[in-house]
Amino acid sequence: MRIRKYLSVAKISVTERFHHSSNLIGRAMVVVFRIWIFATLYRATYKSVGATMINGIDVAGVVWMLALTQLFRQSAWPSVSSLIDEEVKSGALAYSINRPYSYQLFHFASYAGRTGPNLLVNVATASIAAYIFVGPLHLTIASVLAAIVLLGMSYILDFLFNFSIGMLAFWVEDTSAFQWIYFKGQLIFGGLILPLTLFPAGLRAVGERLPFAAMYYSASRLLVQFDEKLFEQYLVTQCVWIAIASAIAIVLFRKGVRNVELNGG
Amino acid sequence: MGKIAREDTLTPQKIISPEGVTKSPERTYYPFWYTTHIMTPIIEVRDLRKTFRAKQKQAGLRGSLRSLVRPVFREVEAVSGVNFSVDPGERIAFIGPNGAGKSTTIKMMTGILVPTSGSILCKGLDPSRERKLLSRHVGTVFGQKPQLWYHLPAIDTYELFSRIYDLPRNAYRERLDFLVKAFEIAHLLETPVRKLSLGERMRCEITASLLHRPSVLFLDEPTIGLDVVAKLQIREVIRDLNEKEGVTIFLTSHDAGDIESLAHRTMVINHGRLMFDDSTDRFRNRYVTSKTIELHLDEDASRFDFNEGTVTERGKHSITIELPSGSKSVERLLQYTVENFQLKDLNIFEPPMEEIISRMYQAQAALVNTPDWACEQLTETPPLIS
Repeated sequence: MRIRKYLSVAKISVTERFHHSSNLIGRAMVVVFRIWIFATLYRATYKSVGATMINGIDVAGVVWMLALTQLFRQSAWPSVSSLIDEEVKSGALAYSINRPYSYQLFHFASYAGRTGPNLLVNVATASIAAYIFVGPLHLTIASVLAAIVLLGMSYILDFLFNFSIGMLAFWVEDTSAFQWIYFKGQLIFGGLILPLTLFPAGLRAVGERLPFAAMYYSASRLLVQFDEKLFEQYLVTQCVWIAIASAIAIVLFRKGVRNVELNGG
Repeated sequence: MGKIAREDTLTPQKIISPEGVTKSPERTYYPFWYTTHIMTPIIEVRDLRKTFRAKQKQAGLRGSLRSLVRPVFREVEAVSGVNFSVDPGERIAFIGPNGAGKSTTIKMMTGILVPTSGSILCKGLDPSRERKLLSRHVGTVFGQKPQLWYHLPAIDTYELFSRIYDLPRNAYRERLDFLVKAFEIAHLLETPVRKLSLGERMRCEITASLLHRPSVLFLDEPTIGLDVVAKLQIREVIRDLNEKEGVTIFLTSHDAGDIESLAHRTMVINHGRLMFDDSTDRFRNRYVTSKTIELHLDEDASRFDFNEGTVTERGKHSITIELPSGSKSVERLLQYTVENFQLKDLNIFEPPMEEIISRMYQAQAALVNTPDWACEQLTETPPLIS
């Protein structure tokens, strides 16, 4: 495998992202707006129950957790599933599948290239916004290192699920329904609007074993409050889900390419 | 497997039967002076078939609900038992009406679609199993699909492709220089693709497909929507690549100009079946027998009286005439017109593909009704192409 070609794919994706700088900044501003909503909402919630801490997390912790989860996920935009779906619909797959590279790695490299600039801009803007709204986040070396590992794995896991959903375009006319279900899973169990820390114990135990929480929430959770046991648990959960998602992606790709029916012949 | 290579002007005629003809119509006529030599085909297609499953839905909401509960599928045979082989360096037009199976065949030959049955060997490789390896040897241009990164300048995509195809830096730069000069795109390289005109974009698209020096170039309607100048330039470069580098050209197009200026050999496909496979000269002489000329005059067209061809339509200031191809009657018509009228505009049309196909069916029906002894007398050598 020649890594250079995939680095070139990532490079051209980075270049293209910077061509969309206004889009990049616009989307980062949406995250800032959401952080303001969360800050207002959770301040009011904590005040209404008269608590400064719920399950060991204060308002600032909740807002930072939500802000980080949102920005991590937002950085993986546009989703691989929507891009593959579009490739199949437009027939552009005739080119992209027919080159001397691994189609899966091509999409992964392109995804990594898109995510990098998104992440840089989103981290910068969302961190400033969260700092202004709820104050600083107290980081430790352990929490940062753990978050970096979990975040890298999260992006791989999210890619694999999205790639698998994209592969469904070889069978169904439109994959948007599957994308919608996946996104709702992330929204509820992925800590995008409510941190799993605030879930009832039973539901939290289930949620923490699902792939959604093992994605971006795991990294933001440990950045806010490092917990070695939780880190190990998330890492194992991620590894298991990456193995499952890889198998699904490989099977769907192998079967899918033999089932290609491009629009217009 | 060896195959007989043919001189372009000396090719035997072959008409292949459509489904439903019971008497074997496959007869090949070879003149006695027909010279041959053995050559290994670069593409071999045997009994190729592709069936798609198309979901059927009745009109309206009720139809949609019914289709949801009990989906009904119809099998559509896009390609039905196609056989042919292509020698290295040939320039082939693969033509037919919309939905005839042209693009599907090309996509199977390049490994994008998997055949339902039959076999393909392209450069000795099975496209559906060795797609990645084959992609190093073939180039594809789909006229209606972009491969360049839309928001970036074409040079960024070329750079990427040079890495994807593992081209050595010097070889890449040399090749790029050559193609940039040939297509005259030096001034376009740093402009975002989205800002290029269709003609400019197509020249850049074809450049991208040729960077890795493919030995077979598949062109699926490469000149669609282009102006005359852009078409001429693209044809010239493609012809040049074929003559100088021996690139095999496999072209689908609805443009008669593309076919006449690029292809030595023409294959006609209709309803997924190969109907004709012979030299382009013979194709033109046999089936493109007329041209339609539409004249727009500044004067009353009622006194227009040209004694050749057939007037198919007469307006107040316009007249449409069908003339035989290959004769001097077009020249005479124009001479008559400019001498007697103020000519405002003129259009020349080739017969539509549907009409050509219809003529083929008629010719074939006549052939089927010919007694066997008459056909045998015409056959000098046994058929060598399946």
